Amino acid sequence: MIFAAAAVAAASVAAPGSAQVTGDRALGQYLSSECVTCHQLTGKQQPGIPAIDGKPAASLVEQLNAYRTKQRPNEVMQNIAARLSSDDIAALAVYFSSLKPRN
Amino acid sequence: MTTNRRQFIGGAGAIAAASSFPMPAIAQAKAKVVVIGGGPGGATVAKYVAKDGGVDVTLVEPARRFTTCFHSNLYLGGFRSFGSITHSYDKIAKAYGITHARQLAAAIDRDKKTVRLAGGRVLPYDRLVVAPGIDIKFDSVPGYSEEASKRMPHAWQAGPQTRLLRRQLLALKDGATIVMVAPPNPYRCPPGPYERVSMMAHVLKARGHKKSKIIVLDPKPNFSKQGLFVEGWQKHYPGMVEWQDPKMHGGIKGVDAKTMTVKTDLAEYKANLVNVIPAQMAGKIARDAGLANQSGFCAIRPESMKSTVDANIYVLGDASIAGDMPKSGFSANSQAKVVAMMVRGEVAGGRTFPARYSNTCWSLIETDDTVKVGGAYEAKDGKIAATSTFISKTGEDAALRKKTQEENMAWYAGITADIWT
Ligand SMILES: Cc1cc2nc3c(=O)[nH]c(=O)nc-3n(C[C@H](O)[C@H](O)[C@H](O)COP(=O)(O)OP(=O)(O)OC[C@H]3O[C@@H](n4cnc5c(N)ncnc54)[C@H](O)[C@@H]3O)c2cc1C
Ligand code: HEC
Repeated sequence: MIFAAAAVAAASVAAPGSAQVTGDRALGQYLSSECVTCHQLTGKQQPGIPAIDGKPAASLVEQLNAYRTKQRPNEVMQNIAARLSSDDIAALAVYFSSLKPRN
Repeated sequence: MTTNRRQFIGGAGAIAAASSFPMPAIAQAKAKVVVIGGGPGGATVAKYVAKDGGVDVTLVEPARRFTTCFHSNLYLGGFRSFGSITHSYDKIAKAYGITHARQLAAAIDRDKKTVRLAGGRVLPYDRLVVAPGIDIKFDSVPGYSEEASKRMPHAWQAGPQTRLLRRQLLALKDGATIVMVAPPNPYRCPPGPYERVSMMAHVLKARGHKKSKIIVLDPKPNFSKQGLFVEGWQKHYPGMVEWQDPKMHGGIKGVDAKTMTVKTDLAEYKANLVNVIPAQMAGKIARDAGLANQSGFCAIRPESMKSTVDANIYVLGDASIAGDMPKSGFSANSQAKVVAMMVRGEVAGGRTFPARYSNTCWSLIETDDTVKVGGAYEAKDGKIAATSTFISKTGEDAALRKKTQEENMAWYAGITADIWT
């Protein structure tokens, strides 16, 4: 198998009132394919699973860290966040925050 | 990397590794990817390969609409309509330019790299994705057959069988006996039979049955989420469900659809409803192509879902041997994203990352009482291995169980939107 050694295209997103988040958007796009099994890309709130597209990158980083460190309950999200590195979290935050809700 | 003319023409996009990708006959032709089977495995691959363009994707699936097995137990329990678990391929065909060949694939010629459709048309492929789900091993239960399934439904492939089971359930009068013959491992949806028992019990209870019984004859000594289901059955349906392991029944000897009887080593049951869930194997097309081993399922490389016997073919979903991952719609959808990435890596120069897989299965026991089990998986020691898992606990409070059911419903909306829109 070939893991592409292409230059990593890093993207930055400035979140209002917080630090800038820098991450690999292509990695974020691949990792996001796991998330969209549950999180619909509609930007709409619905019971059970909140929308995460179009949210500020810094708050996504904060929320994912809270699940990763098990400060925030929910075993589904804790289990998913457990294997995310800080780079993964940054990549996901950059990717999701860059999306415009579909409808 | 070898430079080739097409990269300048741009018709097929950049080719990352020309050595592993044979040139199509026509220089400008896009790479051809054929996907067999439009379940959560195949339909997801078709969408994710086609979505980013530059690849010619054909989805071979005879049905115009797909009814999901997932949440078919909720249909059985009256929590969902049949229409709400049925999804059309039209949206993804249109939105991503997927060609939907509405036929069965009749044969795969691995040397020529072609798929012959039932109608005779031959489709060439650069990469083939095989996701035909399961076939039922009717003869694994003596006396059972496709014919017998018209009286004793398996309802393990969603569609007319599912509706038949619901009709039979609704026709029962108080004092009825239901017998379920549970399947041996490995089978699709490990908690599925026991969620089904819960949904049948829910319907009987809601219809005021006091004396009806559900007897589960299991060839396994234990089952998925057992502690949670048994706790739920005692709490919501006291005295209604009787589960027997092989020590209790001594072995399942056979069924007779004419007399509606089920025989074990120790007893004979005359039942009003019999749900037989036989052993299973990979869909015929995969077995005929020599992709399955003696187990009846198809061995894959855990880092890519590529068949271990053919480098041009990927197998995923229920037909594959996916290590620690259960056979579920969630797993098939998760595997599909790895397959799509690897296929695009091979034929369209896409970036690839180490494969990650995940799964969560929710089970509804009674209204607002839902439990879940899940895990994260990676390629390790030559198989897909669990890196972490979780499961609901017995004794959880009602608020948490209700929230878990909300997740279950939101997941269904999410995954079906991910696959079919
Ligand atoms: C009662 C029940 C409850 C379940 N509940 C859940 C749940 O809550 N969560 C969950 O994640 N999973 C659940 N599952 C499991 C889930 O339904 C399966 O694991 C999933 O459907 C597997 O997907 P697949 O794409 O591999 O195969 P399938 O869904 O079986 O799709 C295969 C498709 O391929 C087509 N096909 C077969 N052969 C050919 C051919 N030769 N040519 C063309 N097309 C072909 C078939 O028509 C079919 O459409 C449940 C299953 C059952 C039975
Ligand atoms: C199996 C379903 C599932 C998957 C897959 C999933 N999530 Fe979640 N997610 C949930 C649920 C359920 C919640 C609500 C949990 C709670 O109550 O705190 C949630 C909550 C969140 C939140 C908090 C949102 C808010 O507004 O509070 C974020 C951020 C999040 N998920 C990100 C992700 C990312 C990123 C991924 C992919 C790496 C992902 N999720 C994959 C089910 C899922």
